[in-house]
Amino acid sequence: MSENAVAVVYTNVLLNLATPVVDNRLTAPSGADPLKALLIAYDIHTPASVLGEITEATGSGDLLSAAADLVLQAAHHLTTHDVDNRTDDPLDYGLDRGESEGIWLANELEADLFITDEFNTTNYLFITLALNDRNILFTTPHILCTLATHDILPVGYVRAALTYYVETKSWDAQYVAQLRQQYLPD
Amino acid sequence: MAEEKTRVDFNAPRSLIERADSVVEILDISRTRLLIDALEDELETLTHDEEFRRRLSDAYYNDRVDYNTVEAVLGREEAMRMKLLRASVDRTPAEPQLEDTLPSDDVFYDGEIPEWTDTPSSDSDDESHA
Repeated sequence: MSENAVAVVYTNVLLNLATPVVDNRLTAPSGADPLKALLIAYDIHTPASVLGEITEATGSGDLLSAAADLVLQAAHHLTTHDVDNRTDDPLDYGLDRGESEGIWLANELEADLFITDEFNTTNYLFITLALNDRNILFTTPHILCTLATHDILPVGYVRAALTYYVETKSWDAQYVAQLRQQYLPD
Repeated sequence: MAEEKTRVDFNAPRSLIERADSVVEILDISRTRLLIDALEDELETLTHDEEFRRRLSDAYYNDRVDYNTVEAVLGREEAMRMKLLRASVDRTPAEPQLEDTLPSDDVFYDGEIPEWTDTPSSDSDDESHA
């Protein structure tokens, strides 16, 4: 486990990966578990505040809440870091506290990966600027493709999951199509 | 303001030009001013049009338009976002490692996997958390 590449993620990535696992509707992909795959295949680190944010998302009985419950059930696979007081100089760029803490942590750990879902907005640009090494920045769909090309997730599942996310999370369809074309061609 | 100008000639339906000229007269502006304003308004509208953005994005990702075109239409920040995203597609992330197979749910999770199905009382699943 400790040999695995170190990846820093924050709240949305975990919740988004848990969502199709708990979503029992026919429109959701089934037969694999992207949250489990990520947490096993990489050494995942988060700011401690992430667990607080995920706990806050529980209890409402909706899909997000079910996803949050699942992440908490897997929380022992996360390494959390107390980064309070470390980010007093806000990274600014309009990023929220969770994102700023995640970037700070990635820089501090010299992580191999910083995974984000913030690629639909100019936040992606700001995250790029804030990371010491922009080459560690990857998006959740890119990582899903990588898990498929390494036979950790079935290719068919990842294709279905990408469609699911584009439709339910409004992920940038053209970008996701590029990833699909490059890594999961039909 | 001192930007260089270029002359444009084009044919348009006579009735349209007549309507435009009526408006020009009422507003007491030049026909050129009206056309420039109309073009600017249309380009601004397209900037926020999802279908147009999709087509521009497609064209950029497929090398049919260049960065400068995207920047001119969508602005620098959005163009930079697309440029960085496009460049990132070719990058290879640190390799994921899996020694054997993924553990069973019983071993991996503390408890049963929650199951959510849409019900009439909770039909909104778009939490916009992405």
